[in-house]
Amino acid sequence: MENAGIFVILVSSILVNNFVLSRFLGICPFLGVSKQVETALGMGMAVTFVMTLAGIITYFVQKFILVYFDIEYLQTIAFILVIASLVQFVEIVLQKMSPTLYQALGVFLPLITTNCAVLGLALLNIQYEFGLIQTITHSIGAAVGFSLAIVLFAGIREKLEIADVPTPFKGFPIALITASLMSIAFLGFAGLV
Amino acid sequence: MNPIKTLTNGLFKENPIFFQLLGMCPTLAVTTSAENGLGMGLASTAVLICSNVVISLLRKVVPSKIRIPIFIVVIATFVTMVGMVMEGFMPALYNSLGLFIPLIVVNCLILARAESYASKNGVFISTIDGIGMGLGFTWALTVLGAIRELFGAGSIFGMSIFGVAYKPALIMILPPGAFLALGILLAINNLLKSRSA
Amino acid sequence: MKEIIKLGLILLLVCVVAAVALAFTNELTKDQIALQRNQANENARRNILPDADSFKALDENKLNEIISENKSVAEVFKGYKGDSIVGYTFKTLPSGYGGTVEVMTGIDLEGKVNGVRIGNHQETPGLGANVALPEFYNQYENKSAESEIEVSKTEPTNDNQIQAISGATITSDAVTAGVNIAIDTFKQITGK
Repeated sequence: MENAGIFVILVSSILVNNFVLSRFLGICPFLGVSKQVETALGMGMAVTFVMTLAGIITYFVQKFILVYFDIEYLQTIAFILVIASLVQFVEIVLQKMSPTLYQALGVFLPLITTNCAVLGLALLNIQYEFGLIQTITHSIGAAVGFSLAIVLFAGIREKLEIADVPTPFKGFPIALITASLMSIAFLGFAGLV
Repeated sequence: MNPIKTLTNGLFKENPIFFQLLGMCPTLAVTTSAENGLGMGLASTAVLICSNVVISLLRKVVPSKIRIPIFIVVIATFVTMVGMVMEGFMPALYNSLGLFIPLIVVNCLILARAESYASKNGVFISTIDGIGMGLGFTWALTVLGAIRELFGAGSIFGMSIFGVAYKPALIMILPPGAFLALGILLAINNLLKSRSA
Repeated sequence: MKEIIKLGLILLLVCVVAAVALAFTNELTKDQIALQRNQANENARRNILPDADSFKALDENKLNEIISENKSVAEVFKGYKGDSIVGYTFKTLPSGYGGTVEVMTGIDLEGKVNGVRIGNHQETPGLGANVALPEFYNQYENKSAESEIEVSKTEPTNDNQIQAISGATITSDAVTAGVNIAIDTFKQITGK
């Protein structure tokens, strides 16, 4: 994986190893914030923003702090702190700089700290021994993959609202079964890379 | 508060997976076999009990403004410890759970219990809550893992159930099977709830 | 302002306590983890080169030279029986379906594959992960290093073919690529 080209990483992270549908990262927002396309889009954008930044920052933290001082066992704790502070920081900056964007994304930001897609991405980047460019590519790809999945899913769920679903399946069960079908569809991308 | 009630609350009435839908990522990702489900469940239970105890002890000294970062640090510390112990003594399980061990940190179940229970209740009852919620999470994971393993590989805990003639439905072990199995379990759960109501 | 400093200090204190606790646990489990890793590797080496009774890592300069030509090679060990070399073990890292697959290959001096084992991998359970079962990896045993090993989707017809796991061709190909890299490296080292 460490020698993989940019394009391969991009396609792989968006479609083949889609964070939500094949790696099961970020399921909570995927199920929780997908009732409407509009909110799903907002969540997707907020996550894309944070994930890309988090990917880059954790790369430097790993390289220049954890490895340098030989304290790699503090990785989990360091990364989660980076992500939590980053989310806070983004929130404050957005509030000051762009109130409109803050209004659109604000409610999703606190939820992102416990979105395992962000921490998972940071850990995967290290595990694959990516360089900086690859890290950035992978982060963007993973985030776009997440947004793609959640927006598509929200589109289907909007239609499901008015569909005649057997009572026991109403709500989460039918949503999960829909996700299962989407996941089968995404399995079709397996041969691409 | 009644300890037994707290315990059964987590195990059944407020089961983290079937009723609260918390901690979905590991639930779906690692339940490819009963053994993995059990291992993940117990690892999370260990973290949950420890973090509940510590957070309950700290509940009076932690300023409320920075409680979430402090909870996360406490949880991350225990997750790393559990990870180290697992790598040292159960390397096979550690390898098969892989990335999802550090990701216990962001399991919403643990933070949710810290925030809504341990930070408001005494040490003893918080420990019980941790045990109840943890074991409730564990059995749900094990059942889900067993179902997927049964249909996807024809065995439970590695023991063949259907014999060699059974052609496993591989889809159950692949990602779609996770969504499908949990969706159907939740539907059955809803059905039972509406019957008893 | 005063409050921010106070909160910052509390947070710092918590982090310091956490770091100390982790350093302590790390100190306690470090040796055990290293032991487990070594033991797993040592056992794997014994399995894939049963003739040898001790192993020594290949000279570092030589290994770096090999790695500079082929990045998939991770480790090379010389296997000794008493004082004489009886073969080599290789750890290669070909790309599978879910990431890299650790393939360990043992080749004796006559250029025969003695055994293959699969280490860490992220292949699909029930499909690709089945390459780690004896039914699959035993196929490589006694293959000659003369020619490249090929993957066949049906019953093998040639001596240098192995049968892919149905539904997991990518992983089967990956493992075979790993073994072939080991064979190439073996030829490079022994000059055959």
